[in-house]
Amino acid sequence: MRILVVEDDADLNAQLVSALSEAGYAVDAALDGEEGFYLGETEPYDLIVLDIGLPKMDGISVLEGWRRADLKMPVILLTARDRWSDKVAGIDAGADDYVAKPFHMEELLARARAQLRRAAGHAKSEIECGPVCLDTNSAKVTCDGQSIKLTSHEFRLLSYMMHHQGRVVSRTELVEHLYDQDFDRDSNTIEVFIGRLRKKIPADVIETVRGLGYRMSDGNAEG
Amino acid sequence: MGMLRANSLAFRLFVVSALWTLIVLPIAGFLIFRLYKDDFQTSFDVQLKKLVIALTIDSMSEATDRPVAPTNRYEPLFEVTLSGWYWQIKPLDGPLDKTLVSASLASSTLPSPFERKFPSDATGTRWVNVVGPNGDKIRIVEVIDTLGHEPGTPRYSIIVAGPMDWFEASVSSFTTRLATALSLAGLGLVLATLFQIQFALRPLREIEKSLGRIRSAEAERLEGQLPVEIEPLQRELNALLQSNQDIIERARTQVGNLAHGLKTPLAVIVNEARDAKTPFAKKVAMQAGVMRDQINHYLDRARVAARVNVIGGVTEVRPVVDPLVRALGKIHQDTGIDIKVECPAGLKFRGDRQDLEEVLGNVLDNACKWADRRVRLTIEPADPDNLSLRDGEAGLFRVVVEDDGPGLSAEQRAKLGKRGLRLDETKPGSGLGLSIVTDLVGLYRGTFGLEASKMGGLKAVITLPLG
Repeated sequence: MRILVVEDDADLNAQLVSALSEAGYAVDAALDGEEGFYLGETEPYDLIVLDIGLPKMDGISVLEGWRRADLKMPVILLTARDRWSDKVAGIDAGADDYVAKPFHMEELLARARAQLRRAAGHAKSEIECGPVCLDTNSAKVTCDGQSIKLTSHEFRLLSYMMHHQGRVVSRTELVEHLYDQDFDRDSNTIEVFIGRLRKKIPADVIETVRGLGYRMSDGNAEG
Repeated sequence: MGMLRANSLAFRLFVVSALWTLIVLPIAGFLIFRLYKDDFQTSFDVQLKKLVIALTIDSMSEATDRPVAPTNRYEPLFEVTLSGWYWQIKPLDGPLDKTLVSASLASSTLPSPFERKFPSDATGTRWVNVVGPNGDKIRIVEVIDTLGHEPGTPRYSIIVAGPMDWFEASVSSFTTRLATALSLAGLGLVLATLFQIQFALRPLREIEKSLGRIRSAEAERLEGQLPVEIEPLQRELNALLQSNQDIIERARTQVGNLAHGLKTPLAVIVNEARDAKTPFAKKVAMQAGVMRDQINHYLDRARVAARVNVIGGVTEVRPVVDPLVRALGKIHQDTGIDIKVECPAGLKFRGDRQDLEEVLGNVLDNACKWADRRVRLTIEPADPDNLSLRDGEAGLFRVVVEDDGPGLSAEQRAKLGKRGLRLDETKPGSGLGLSIVTDLVGLYRGTFGLEASKMGGLKAVITLPLG
């Protein structure tokens, strides 16, 4: 899952990046509206955390610009102005949620998880795929009720596959969504992690679709 | 009359003009009375004098050696007994002739002023008021004359008397009429003064009303065409109001900027401190929490206070509800909350749009957070039969927000609404946002109450003024 943070306060920006990274997301950061707009328009983010009061281009304009460009990724607005008229204006501009400053990081993380689940079409906080179960709140993975220990990269990969289960996910897509823009993108590493995952969960849960990528399914779904 | 308070311009003007009227009218009345009486007296005296001269000429002819009864009846009432009109010719010395009297005197006589040592005026005539034979007041005029011009010829007192009662009656009737006329004039003047004061001071009362409207936030300027004397005052007052509003607006903006500006660094501090587990970090986190609450508290206060200076407009409810419900539906999308809205089109709230948004937004958001599946918003005019409307009071409408969540016990409901109080820290959001609701509703003299809903959860009931 790849997230963009657009926040002009360098400290808060750094905190958001570090908290989201710790939570297992690939995070990019922008410090002003123009940079944020450019990144959001060009990179395939799964979620964007957007401050409203930004230099160069305000958050609402950035958001409206994205929505005009038909970009549908979930956006959480971050703002000090928390009147309902501000909230309604933000939501009407195309935001999916609204977090008022000052906020607790846990709250933002919870909202982020909810938006990511919702965007992938999952209503509950626990996502299941065959015997594998991902609790998005606690970031715990179980298989047949047994807790499974995953490294950070393995977790990211599994989490993305679980969110998008049932459809073929290409290696490029995985690279784009699992690593931030500064990461050395070598799609071979994906293969390595898929291999490791298959040792920890039933191997047939993740199938390789030759030439296209991978598909995660509960096995008894369509072949 | 309300306008005549002791310390008022109207009272001062009224007292001065009423005093003036009260002093001038009696003086004028007295002068008129004197003039009339003197004039009347003079013409009466002229008549008496004429009669006495005519009688003297008639009776004191030199052809006879004694006075004769006058033949010419100048006054018919000389013949009517005790009519008040009398004449008398009485010898003062010399041969004691008979005293001649008019028929009206019958057998009585009139006292001679000369004999009673009354001084005569410059023409040798004596005037005196006495009581006549029938007890009436009469006025006597007497001349002393002789039959010849030689010294030592006997003198005679020739008297004519006329009744004073009708003179007095006439004067008194005049006095009554004069007093009545002057009283009416005085009353008229006082009434005219009152009208004049009312009329002249009306612009001042207009100003009073305008200022009242400004204070109750129905107007922001002193409007209307005022008299030239007050126009500078109006201009200055408006300038003052404007500058006052500017100052408030500036102060409010600055408070807002300050508070909002603090929120980002505060967010940094809160999040920085929460990661560390040292006592220092805990203290910082706690104090940052206090700061956050303070900022929110004063921002809310600034909002509420700012409302007082905003012109009390009217807001249609439905266009506020719809975007709010849309936004809330999106915010609470993942819990799949179904918000049912019942709100008659055209219903209006007497107040600010943003206030209504805050009230509805906070209550609805709260319901959405706790609801299992369903939230119901019902807005309807409050039953007027259940309310004792005073004059000039607008009606109320009722906002009912219900959810099917776990609800609250009566005890918990009573505790709610206090600032910073959160019954459950697990639900996101700082506080339940209900204290700002309480503040705002109170500002509009509405009510806010929590009950148990038939849907299972909480039922918030708010009343607000209809527009």
